[in-house]
Amino acid sequence: MRLLGAELRKMTYQRAMWGMVIAGALFSVLGTASTPFILASSGDGLGFGTLAEQNVVDTVYANAVSGYIFAMLLGVLVVAGEFRHGTAVATFVAAPKRGRVLLAKMVAAGIAGLALQSVATATGLLSGYIALLFYPDAARASPEIFINTALSGVVSGVVLGILGAAIGALLRSQVLALMGVLLWLFALEPIMLLLFPAIGKYFLTALVTAIVALDVESEVVNFTTDSFLSPLTAALFLLGYAVVFAILALVSSMRRDID
Amino acid sequence: MAAIVFRNLTKTYGKAIAVDNLSAEVQPGRITGFLGPNGAGKSTALRCLVALATPTKGRTRILGHGYRYLRNPQTRVGVVLDSRGFHPGLTAYQNLRVLTSMGGIDKSRIDDVLAEVELTDARNKRVKGFSLGMKQRLSLASALLGSPEVLVLDEPANGLDPAGIAWLRGFIKSQAEKGTTVFVSSHQLAELETIVDDVIILHKGKMVASGPIAEVTGGESLENAFLSLTGGGLS
Repeated sequence: MRLLGAELRKMTYQRAMWGMVIAGALFSVLGTASTPFILASSGDGLGFGTLAEQNVVDTVYANAVSGYIFAMLLGVLVVAGEFRHGTAVATFVAAPKRGRVLLAKMVAAGIAGLALQSVATATGLLSGYIALLFYPDAARASPEIFINTALSGVVSGVVLGILGAAIGALLRSQVLALMGVLLWLFALEPIMLLLFPAIGKYFLTALVTAIVALDVESEVVNFTTDSFLSPLTAALFLLGYAVVFAILALVSSMRRDID
Repeated sequence: MAAIVFRNLTKTYGKAIAVDNLSAEVQPGRITGFLGPNGAGKSTALRCLVALATPTKGRTRILGHGYRYLRNPQTRVGVVLDSRGFHPGLTAYQNLRVLTSMGGIDKSRIDDVLAEVELTDARNKRVKGFSLGMKQRLSLASALLGSPEVLVLDEPANGLDPAGIAWLRGFIKSQAEKGTTVFVSSHQLAELETIVDDVIILHKGKMVASGPIAEVTGGESLENAFLSLTGGGLS
């Protein structure tokens, strides 16, 4: 508990962590609030349907979970940041049982990810509601979309925070880890999802979306949520990623010297 | 019982041998200089001692245990390995507060140790604005937080000006007077000559001499003794 408390304290002291929370919220707001305008201005040119349809309005709100990217980046900073600033030496000298330190860091990253996603998802949902006020003909959202989006926000925040910390521990280089996460989430995953949906549905973005239980498709951009996993299976898969990477990080940290 | 023990310590990186079969002891309550030129293997040996690096062969003990198995090590051993160990965006107080949280140390110690290293005025300044000397003193403050029995200091004089080095000598002496065991490394042999009781001298990873300074130097300066022990070369 002492180590966990120290990790949480360390995070609250760092401006970069607060910056991640703000960035996550802004990203979520941007994604959610801009969607009605994009859909309305395209006039169904994207093939998703119009705001008069409930599942399309649900899609608007589902974008509120998109801050999960920053939960993962925050997790990376929790561990890789220590190696970047050279504070890893002081940390592991003060607490030489590396497994415990890393565990505390991952739990702290999970808690921070949860906090980040709580803020980001809530502000995203609110911004979606405000944006939809500009479209009086828009359908009402299904009641479960709010619960599912909140649930996805919570799960993705915790799990991707832990996953980010594990990746930070494995790579140690902050730049490499941050670039790797961004390339993975913004380039590789969307490409895989579009070109190989049967494989892409097991990737992080699809798993987070699957928890929202969204029903949306577009032949124009070759996207459908039909083949996505069930919310529970998707959540378990996400958790599986975190567990596997956490174990790899723990084993690796025992074997490598601290520089 | 010796405060610190190196027993047949060897550390290699690929084919390069950083520390070669080092066996030495540091006696409690004394100031022991761990001396040798840059690249002699001092820092590597110290990193093995505090469990940051795993020995290839041999073992180290500190206060009778492997460092990793010390109960709350901050309260037993104060360690200064480099002056980079602080988050530049945090203040001196915040950096030390994180360490007290980790060790369950009362936060009132922070102001005590900042006063001890004469950094009280910089308490709420971000570390990124610190000079190298201030960072070194903050490192020393962090090592003192848990009122340890042993201080392990790796090149604490690095980057200090002559006044800073004089201050450091006084600091080390004052710690020893309180009964603290001080194990301090340096590549500048003359720097600590006047304050150490014992020396362990490394050259190219191997120990070339150890014992009370008077015995090792035989009345000569430490630098001359070192040159004759190593055949004259510093690198």
